[in-house]
Amino acid sequence: MPNLKDIKRQIKSVENTRKTTKAMKLVSTAKLNRAKLAAQQSRVYADKINEVLSEIAYKINQYKIGGIESRFFEEISTPEKVDIVFVTADKGLCGGFNIQTIKEVNRLLAEYKEKKIKVRLRGVGKKGVAFFKFQDIELHSEYLGVSSAPTYEKAQEIMCEAVEDFKNGITDKVILVHNGYLNMISQELKVNHVVPINVPSEYESDSKSLMELEPEEDETILESLMKKYFEYNMYYSLIDSLAAEHSARMQAMENATKNATERVDKLTLAYNKARQESITTELIEIISGVESMK
Amino acid sequence: MDTLKLEIVTPEGQIFCDDVKDVTLPGSEGEFGVYPGHASLVSLLQAGVIDIELDDGKHEVVAINWGHAKVDENSVTVLADGAVAIGGSSEGAIASSLENAKKLIESMSDSDVAIATATAKIESIARAGR
Repeated sequence: MPNLKDIKRQIKSVENTRKTTKAMKLVSTAKLNRAKLAAQQSRVYADKINEVLSEIAYKINQYKIGGIESRFFEEISTPEKVDIVFVTADKGLCGGFNIQTIKEVNRLLAEYKEKKIKVRLRGVGKKGVAFFKFQDIELHSEYLGVSSAPTYEKAQEIMCEAVEDFKNGITDKVILVHNGYLNMISQELKVNHVVPINVPSEYESDSKSLMELEPEEDETILESLMKKYFEYNMYYSLIDSLAAEHSARMQAMENATKNATERVDKLTLAYNKARQESITTELIEIISGVESMK
Repeated sequence: MDTLKLEIVTPEGQIFCDDVKDVTLPGSEGEFGVYPGHASLVSLLQAGVIDIELDDGKHEVVAINWGHAKVDENSVTVLADGAVAIGGSSEGAIASSLENAKKLIESMSDSDVAIATATAKIESIARAGR
């Protein structure tokens, strides 16, 4: 017979856990609303800047305009070294959120290994960094404390290094992996090939005229536009990832709360059964005692 | 009649998206106007005001601090760092948006001349609008 006291203690413990998970869910819901708004607002800008850059890349490739920046637009058929920047959360307790990103990075690693392409990893977020460290996979650089409070400056810093290496020919490709926000209950894994800027294969521009740049004497305009493009892509990944993290955590905590409630119900049932059993036993003892005295 | 599809976006969201007759942009090399059928162009924009002529001949004004514009035959995309639409239903709303626009331009531009030009322009537009 299970000990009544033990069951009581278990119920208490599960109830406490439920309080915690419920509070965490509420916190995540509040944070999610803010993060979601930020992500949705900047999505328009991110989409537009990608669109503009794709069109410029398309035109540059079409008219074979050379120059220092052409490396940014040319798809290299046999890349030798690839940079993967991945964004995970700094905190756990958010279901499969981090695992999904890590899995995708692992898949990419395996894929490039097969093609004999060297890969460098740049990790953002404690969870992903810790995972790869544990696996003894070397990380080129790691950024902690960014994913829970993304700022434009931090995004700039991360992207600046990656793009600088690309510019100097150290790497041939930069890929950005993050788990993005889709809606309140689901996340979407996003793999973004940042440089070289890729043109969708079916891309067909309805504009036929040659593109002019202004001011035209130098390349500052392309440079500044691209700088903005890289930084914004990184920044967008960070805030999108944050929104997704909160939605994942909210869901995970809701499930945990639900499980805890079920557990409490089951334990309460067991407790009542045990209590009744002990009362029955006591009664039998008393009655048989009385009987024997007769 | 031909129209241009104008879109103005900032990191805080979309400010403007509609078909317009023509638009005047504050390019870094000087102000330029865009009508439908304009040749493709990518230009740097400086702090200033975007003057939009709508389909029905009405004008709308948006102040920006810095950005890029991409122009082609039938569309204009403005990627601005910060933008404030000037206008509103009441006098008070217009005045406050004007104030915001001035602040935005002053915060970004480092040359006094540019600030003065832009502010003067905003004020003249505001007067014309009233």
